[in-house]
Amino acid sequence: MADLKVEICGVKLKNPVIAASGTFGFGREYNEIYDISSLGGISTKGLTLEPRQGNPVPRIAEGRSIILNAVGLQNPGVESFIEKDLGFLKSKGVAVIANVAGRTLEDYGNICARLNGLVDFVELNISCPNVKAGGMAFGIRPESIKEVTLISKRALSLTPLMVKLSPNVESIAANAQAAQNGGADCISLINTLTGMVIDIERRKPLIANNTGGVSGAGIKPIAVRMVYEAAHAVKIPVIGMGGIMTGEDAVEFIMAGASAVQVGTANFANANAMPQIIQGLNAWLDRHNIADVKQITGCVKLN
Amino acid sequence: MKDLIAKVKSNQMIAENTYMITFVLPESAGDIRGGQFVNLSVGDSSHLLRRPLGICIAEGKEISVCYQLKGEGTKKLSKIKTGDSLNVLLPLGNGFDLSGYKNIAVIGGGVGIFPLIAAIRENIKHKNFYSYIGFRSKSALCLINEFDKCKSLTVTTDDGSYGKSGNAVDAFFEDVQNLNLDAIIACGPPSMLKSLKEKLLKNAIDVPCFVSLEERMGCGVGACLVCVCKKNDGNNARVCKDGPVFNINDVVL
Repeated sequence: MADLKVEICGVKLKNPVIAASGTFGFGREYNEIYDISSLGGISTKGLTLEPRQGNPVPRIAEGRSIILNAVGLQNPGVESFIEKDLGFLKSKGVAVIANVAGRTLEDYGNICARLNGLVDFVELNISCPNVKAGGMAFGIRPESIKEVTLISKRALSLTPLMVKLSPNVESIAANAQAAQNGGADCISLINTLTGMVIDIERRKPLIANNTGGVSGAGIKPIAVRMVYEAAHAVKIPVIGMGGIMTGEDAVEFIMAGASAVQVGTANFANANAMPQIIQGLNAWLDRHNIADVKQITGCVKLN
Repeated sequence: MKDLIAKVKSNQMIAENTYMITFVLPESAGDIRGGQFVNLSVGDSSHLLRRPLGICIAEGKEISVCYQLKGEGTKKLSKIKTGDSLNVLLPLGNGFDLSGYKNIAVIGGGVGIFPLIAAIRENIKHKNFYSYIGFRSKSALCLINEFDKCKSLTVTTDDGSYGKSGNAVDAFFEDVQNLNLDAIIACGPPSMLKSLKEKLLKNAIDVPCFVSLEERMGCGVGACLVCVCKKNDGNNARVCKDGPVFNINDVVL
């Protein structure tokens, strides 16, 4: 049994495997399938100041090795989360990461202020491709990434700030640096890639929103490349995600420079994906006689 | 709710483009109610979404669900052979709660008949069912023997190639005044359920009516908020977790 414990921005995680925002709700449903206290952390469904109803249905479609979604940030609002769900998540002993989105800079400041000191991390969603209020406008260019990070950080005196980066950008390295310069304590990437799937019989896009975020096994090479580039551009910890389905996939991201990983779409394909990824990661380390997962962080050497 | 690896017992075509797959669970998944569904993997890593299919027959550890060939995923599913493993998550959703109702009308259209069959099987000993099931044509007809124990059965086809010409909803409304109903259960295409709702209102029939809805799903367990429907109060409900069975008056169709 390898040592899977990691510490990110002073927060101790029992392993580096975190549920990605939007795929895991607030943990209750998956806790009916397995004990979610076995996870390193849980990033919540994206929260906004007010409840949101999200986009029309259908909100999901499938392509080969990928899915496309446009839920549109349906969520019960930050107050409901604090009142009804935070206590449950805390009781499970997992790192609680509140994923937040806003329409304006003030929204980001306000929602961060509300969560300051209540959760283990605030993860800034500045990259939701599916709604205007998802902060995508802030997540494209380095200048605006720095600005929204500064405002959020100012409101978070007690809680580390994780900035989630969009892959739909010109330079992931420049954007990672912008988050660092704005005061981010760590970054996570990648959010989904904007895509479209067409039903050729109906000659219409398969999801109501027309475009959506592409995720799943098929995007992994893009995500690994971006995690590598971001990790080499900043000094703060990087949390990697994008198409992780197995323990070996997690190893790949960690070698690219990720201190921890997030798992999203795999939960849909396999309800027990996360416990199996943790087990697979441990088994890989054992097979290679590596005592501590931290020994492989960023160990990849370019040809 | 259990995540299990089942063994496939059979996977056969039962009508044009329609298959029934029967699998055996390694352990009991607990009580299963008609209207609940299984989320099953098509057994191919390039298809990341599971297929949510209404449970048709549940006898101990042996479960049968039916599906229509639609795209690559269901085509892949149709190739699964006896003895193959199948990753299944079940039972999901709420199902039909028929406690307290004795005389029940069953209205099904096309592949919508399958969850209704489970509800009939579960309750046939103690309740009276009056069934109206509709198909596109004779070639789509399947499992009508499952309705044998109902007090009455009316089969319709759109093209008149079998049974009564027309649809199940219209056939039901021809009889409704002669039935002393306590409840109605229905499952079928959105247009059918919409027409049912409109006609119940128009004919001032206020018998409780429960419909099972279909929507494209992500997780199938209520976490991802992909498969929502609109409720009359303006809020969203999760088809997979709050449903798939709803009171017809609570949802916007």
